Formats: sequence, C-alpha cells, structure tokens
Amino acid sequence: MQLASEESASKHGVYTSGTHLPNTLPRRLMTWWMVMRIALEERLAYRGDFALGTLMRFLPIITQIFLWGAVFSSLGDDSATGKKLGGYNFPDMVAYFLLTMIARAFSSMPGLAGGIASQIRQGEIKRYLIQPVDLVGFLLLSRLAHKLAYYFVATVPFAFVFFLCRGYFADGFPPAHLFVAFVGSLVMGFLLGFFLEATIGMIGFWFLEVSSLLFIFMLFSFFLSGHMFPLTLLPEGVLTVVNFLPFKYLAYFPAAIFLGKIPDDELPMELAIEAVWVAFFIIACRVMYSRGVKRYSGYGG
Amino acid sequence: MPPIIDVRELTKSYRVHKKREGLMESVRGLFHREYSDVQAVRGINLQVEQGEFVAFLGPNGAGKTTTLKLLSGVINPTSGHATVMGFTPWERKNEYRRRFALVMGQKNQLWWDLPAQESYLLHQQIYGVPPDQFTATLNELTELLDVTKLLGQPVRELSLGERMKMELIAALLHSPDVLFLDEPTIGLDVIAQHNIQQFLRYYQEKRKITVLLTSHYMKDVAALCKRVVIVAGGLVQYDGSLAGIIDKFSGNKIVTLQFGIADRPSDLSRLGTLLDTNWPKVRISIARAEIPRVLAEALRDYTIEDVSVEDPPLEDVIADLFHQVA
Amino acid sequence: MAGRLTIHPNYWKVFLTFASNSLIRDMTFRANFIFQCISSVAWTAMNVGFYLVIFQFTKSIGVGTGWQQDEFFLFLATTWFINSIVQAFFMSNAEEFSELIRTGGLDFALLKPIDTQFLISFRRIEWSALSNFFAGLFIAGYSLYGMATRETDAYVPSIGMFVLYAFFVMCGVAIMYSVMICLAATSVWLGRNQTLYDFWFYITNFSRYPMEIYNRGWGTALLGLFTFVMPVLVVVNVPARVLAMPLHPRAWWEVPLMLWAIVATIASLAFSRWLFRKSLLSYRSASS
Repeated sequence: MQLASEESASKHGVYTSGTHLPNTLPRRLMTWWMVMRIALEERLAYRGDFALGTLMRFLPIITQIFLWGAVFSSLGDDSATGKKLGGYNFPDMVAYFLLTMIARAFSSMPGLAGGIASQIRQGEIKRYLIQPVDLVGFLLLSRLAHKLAYYFVATVPFAFVFFLCRGYFADGFPPAHLFVAFVGSLVMGFLLGFFLEATIGMIGFWFLEVSSLLFIFMLFSFFLSGHMFPLTLLPEGVLTVVNFLPFKYLAYFPAAIFLGKIPDDELPMELAIEAVWVAFFIIACRVMYSRGVKRYSGYGG
Repeated sequence: MPPIIDVRELTKSYRVHKKREGLMESVRGLFHREYSDVQAVRGINLQVEQGEFVAFLGPNGAGKTTTLKLLSGVINPTSGHATVMGFTPWERKNEYRRRFALVMGQKNQLWWDLPAQESYLLHQQIYGVPPDQFTATLNELTELLDVTKLLGQPVRELSLGERMKMELIAALLHSPDVLFLDEPTIGLDVIAQHNIQQFLRYYQEKRKITVLLTSHYMKDVAALCKRVVIVAGGLVQYDGSLAGIIDKFSGNKIVTLQFGIADRPSDLSRLGTLLDTNWPKVRISIARAEIPRVLAEALRDYTIEDVSVEDPPLEDVIADLFHQVA
Repeated sequence: MAGRLTIHPNYWKVFLTFASNSLIRDMTFRANFIFQCISSVAWTAMNVGFYLVIFQFTKSIGVGTGWQQDEFFLFLATTWFINSIVQAFFMSNAEEFSELIRTGGLDFALLKPIDTQFLISFRRIEWSALSNFFAGLFIAGYSLYGMATRETDAYVPSIGMFVLYAFFVMCGVAIMYSVMICLAATSVWLGRNQTLYDFWFYITNFSRYPMEIYNRGWGTALLGLFTFVMPVLVVVNVPARVLAMPLHPRAWWEVPLMLWAIVATIASLAFSRWLFRKSLLSYRSASS
C-alpha cells in the first residue's frame, strides 16, 4: 500500500514534469508543495472518516489500560504512587502508551518499503534512472508532506484523547530540556523510520520477493520498538541486546524521555547514539540505492 | 399452452442517492437523503413461447440488461409481474434456479486461478447433476466448442474468447430449459463471435430451449433470431421479425442510379438526399411514397442505364431509431 | 432434466468441494502459503513473549480472578482456536462479500440454486490461517500439563469439560461470524469502507482478555455492552472458563453466563441472517 499521492504523483509525472528546467531549489519546492497539497486534500476530503479512524486507533489502548490495571491491582497497588514495574507505575504505563501513539505517528512509514520494492519489480525505477531525479529524496519529501498533513488534521482527535487522559500524566508537562529532547527524538524517529524502511525496500534490487522479509521485520519492529510494553520490563540479558538495536527509537525512546524515565546523565549519550543510527541508515540507503541501480537490469516493466 | 416467459407491466426504478464518500458521509446520508429517480424499465410486456430464440436489441441504458436481471431474480422489480416456467423469478426458489442459466459477457464466474474443470465439478455439486449425466453433457459441450484441451488450464491463462466458451459450458452443464444471454459476444474477435453464434444456434435447435439474448451486434441477432424485441427508454418499442423493422421504422429506401451521360447534372438533389456519388453511379435516399414519382422523373429527364432499389442497412435503421428515442 | 432427484444440493458435498478447491489454489501458491503460516505463528509467538514478560512480575491477572499463568495461557490458546477458525473459514469470505456487492459479482451467487448465505460464507478457506490452531494446541497442551502436575490444586478437566469446551468454542465462532456478516452486509447501504473493517478488529480486540479486567470504574459499562448487546466477551471467556476453571469452586455466575452464551449465539445467528436477507433485497447489482 503505497500512499495514494505518492503513486499518483509519480504516475502522473508530477515530479518529472518540467524536467527540462534546471533542477533548482525553487522547482523542488514547487513540487514538494504540490505533493503536500494533494496529501492535505486527501485527508480533508475524508476528514469525518479520518477523525473517526484516528479516534478508533486509540481503542486498543483501552484494552491495554484495563489489562495493566488488572496486573497492577493484583500487585496490590495501581495508584500514582504505586509499585513500579520496570520503572513504570500504572498511570505511567497509560501515559506511556499514549505517548507511543505520538512516536508512532512520526516513525511509522506504511507501505514505504513495499512501495519501493514494487516499483523496482515493476520496472518503474527506470524513470528515475534516465532523469536527474532522486528517488529517495522524492520519497522523503513526499512522506514529510504526508506526515505534516496528517498532523494538521489529527491534532484535534489527539488533543481530545490526551485531554481526557490528562489524569494519567502525574508529573504533568516535562521540564524544558526534556521537552526539547522529546521533540528531537521525534524528529530523529521520523528520519530513522524512513531510512530504515527505505533501506529494506532497496533489498528489492537483489531479491524480487521482499514482502515476506518485510513482514517478519515489521513483526520484530513492533515487538522490539516498545509498542507493546516499555522495554525496561524485559529481563536483563534480553534488554541489553535490545538496547543495541535501533528499534527502540521508533516508539519507546521518545515516550520514555517525555516521562522522565531516561536519567539526565544518560540522555545526551542516547540521543547521540540515535543520531548515529540515523546517519548509518542514511548512508546504507544511499549505498544500496546506487549499487542497486548499477546492478539493475530492467526487471519487469 | 401458456407462454414460458410471461412479463406484464414490469417496472424497475432506482432511487439514486447523491454519491457519498467516506464512512461519516455515508452515515449522514442515512438521515438526509438527496436523490433522483431513474426509471430503468418502465412497464415491459412480453410473452415468449417455449423454444423461441428472441433477441433484445437496444441502446445502452435501454433496460435490456435490467430486464434480464429481473427475470433471473437477481433484482426485485418496483411493480409488475413476471413468470418464467411458472415461477416468480425474484422469489429465488431453488426449483427455479436450477432450471435456467444466465451468462453475462465479460463477466466471469469461474474460479480464476483454477482450471475450468474444477469450477465445473463445483457446479455439479451445487446443481445436483448426476455423475453420468454430467460427464456426458460436459463431453458434448466441450467437443462442440472445441475446448477439450483447455479444461485443465487455469482460467486466467485463457483468452477472452476461450473464457467465454468456458462460461457458456458452465451455464449449460445443468441442462437449463431457459437461457438468458447478456451481450455474450461483446469484446470478442470476429472468429470467436462466429464460433459462439454457430454453437448457440446448433444447441438451441437441438435442445429446443428458450433463449433470450441481448446484444449490440446486428450479426448476433441476424444469425440467431427470428424474433427481435427492440427495447429503448425502458419500453418495448417493437416486437416482431427482423425484416419487419425496416418496414416499420424506415421511411426511406436507397435508390442507386447509373447514369448514361458523361457530365454530371447539377440539380440531382431535387430527386432526394444524395448519399454518395461515384460517377456515373449515384446513391440517393428517397422517401418510399415518393419513389414512383422520382423514378419516373429521373427516367424522363436523364439517360439512366441501371436502377436498383434497396432497403437501408438494418444497422442504420436501428441506430436512427435509438437516436430518436434518446 | 432427467434423473434429478433432489431440489436442494448436498450442502456437505458442496462444502467439501469448496474446501478442496481452496486447498488446490493454496498449493499452487505454495511459497505464499508457507510464508502466511510462518507469519501467523510468529505473531502468536510474539504474544506469548509479551505475556511471559508480564508474568515475570505478577502471579495472576486481576485480583482473585484465578487467571494465573497456566490458566491464562489456556485462555490465550482459546483465543487462537476461535480466531484461527474464523480467519480460515470466514474472514476472506466476508471481505469478498463486500467486493461482490460493490462490483455486482453477487449476481452469480444469486443465480445458484443454493442458499446464498451458505454460498458466500464458505466459498473460500484460508488453510494457512489454521497454523495458529496448531500453535494453540501446543500452548494448550503445555498449560494443561502444567495444571495437572502442579503441587497445589492439581487439576485435570473431565471429558465432559472438553466436550463443553469444544461446544462453546463453536458458539464463539458463531458469534464472531455473525458480527462479521452483519458488518459485511452493511456494504449494501454504506458502500465499501475500510473503517468498517478496522472496526471489526477493534471490537474483537476486546474479546481477547478475561472479562474481569473490565470490572473497574467505567469499564463495567463496557462489560455490559459487550456481554449483552454485542456479545463478543462471551466468545472466548465462556469456553476458557469451562476448561481452565480459574476459580475452585466455580463462581455463581458461571453457569448463567454459559446459558447466556447459548442464547447469545442463537440470537446473533438469527439477527445476522435477518440482516443478510435484508441486504439482498436492497441489492442493486452493477450497471452493465
């Protein structure tokens, strides 16, 4: 499932129209604005539907709240000063899940890897080879446009839910430096999520059937990103391994920062490591793209 | 004997709501309705005897397909009555459904990824056809349509024409007494069309089944049916033989004059509507009543070497009729 | 016309043909089939991992509910039994039904001399979804063994329990099926809508946990709603309680709940049938 606007934009040659013009910044900005507008229109056209859909995405959290409520109450205490599991008491837990929704809104890239792989498989990549067009750059900007359009329209349902649940944020709003770190981790989460999936999509240059691999990856990513539970609940040995993986930055890390669960002395280090991971995947993506393009023998089409 | 298909004042109108996108809009649409009424079928009367092969001819949106769907029980009418073999189609009784078949051009009901053979076995189970009868019928049909070697191939690998043949076989496996065909040859190449027409003619004559066929193609109609029902604007406009259409609807005939003079006169248009000139031959469309007078004039005023009077092509007559009704 | 003895088809034979056709089709795409099996089981394994993490910290889920590790994993296994059956037999058919309504392909189903609801409900079987059934068997076996060999309150369910369990699992399947068909049938009026399908997943999500967890604060409203109005909570809870017997002796409300489950099953099936038939009456077919 590629984003509709990505598909239609590339099919209708939105990006490639006017390629006789120099590949300058103004032209790129124009194209980007166009993609952004399409994405926004899509969202707004179905906005009732969209708002309903966004609210429904919070439904699984309800069951999680009850589940953890039952777990904590069986430990004897589910209050704000209650027992902590992995550093999280019950209200923390609820706040955690809500925050991972925000983190996922930044880092999830539905259909990105699959879209790249299918473009490779169907030979649409050719278009990007004969023209001075940067596939990765285009996709990045289009995703950015989509996300911005999404945030614009999703702010209301999100704000509504957070307002309803404000009681779970026992410590209230985090101090300024933590909030800055939080925003930074969200931005890096977006980049990491994008380049990680783009790199996987690039595997399509070597293996035609990427979807199986992709699915297994998504499964691991879901589990190891902290989407299901705060990673600190994992047993020691497992936690050490998971800490070395990049997945935790996709959901767990920003939420943990916001809730003040990352000690101040470790925070800069963690952010730096995240930046390194981002850089790594940017490079990996680029390298695989150029290698893959060289190897490309024109499958499909 | 009562007619096998008896349709009286059959009417179907649709209430078309303004199209709504998205769930919220759809739910809202349940409370505030904006609509317009489309009358697809406006009171059709028709009687068909057993063993007839009747063609439904008409422009797009005339109501031909809607009528077939009503008679198949797929949709319910707004008002009116119809019985086929004594059954009311939209009650969808099993006794009725196992005695007729509907084939729709370019629409597939066979399992896409499986060989047709597997779909046929499924048909056998659903219709309850005894095994020996099933085998005999299948063999007969595949031989007639010359598709025996295609039975084991997945349906998606077949060409359009071959798929149509397989669909026909599927429809006839349970030996229906009534067959409804909705544009069966649409989109097929000329050879495939011809094959299917041949087959239908042979099969219908041999089994004496009643067939209702809708088509755009004159060739289908001319090859297969003596009786033509023209449906336009949701009503029956004509019901009779092919030849009769021309008599009823065409006011003109086409007169071809071969002139015996070297130069072409400039006042030929007073004879009638000039269709084309390939000097010394001229084709003119002349109103029937005028023909004796015009011919007499022409023969008197010019040197004519040859005269022929023909009916206009059926396609043109029908096309004109469709235009008139629209 | 000659030689036909019955008006109605042999439904069992038709079902067997559907099953074998689906199997043939699945086997032609073997790699995909294997991949689907692996992903289903991988997903299940992930869930097991999640609950193993939880049980590190607590002995039971909920206070005084009796859902300790063995019992709870038996509950989980029950969710997989029910879900794998629903997914294998009905999920793709319900989606297909929506598509058929939209494209007009439902016409062909209406022409056949066989009950239309039967035809569209059983056409296709996703054999790969049953891989979770076997995963469930494994987990269930492990839990039952654990319950039989533990030091305190060792417990082995009687044959009667197993029979009742199987019966209530099928009731659960029937209720889920009814919800699915109702949602799919609404396509006739509401058009194809992805949100509706997401709705299915979110609603059934509630059914995957022991119902006691909702018994706090405003959760009791949910408890009431999903037990008596849209009875998805009885789907897994009733059979799981029958077999796992978290409370020794049984709570007073367990048998009434079982009886309610039977009533709810019949009511759901009847309602979904009624809604289905109503949707056929409003069916428009597609323009040619």
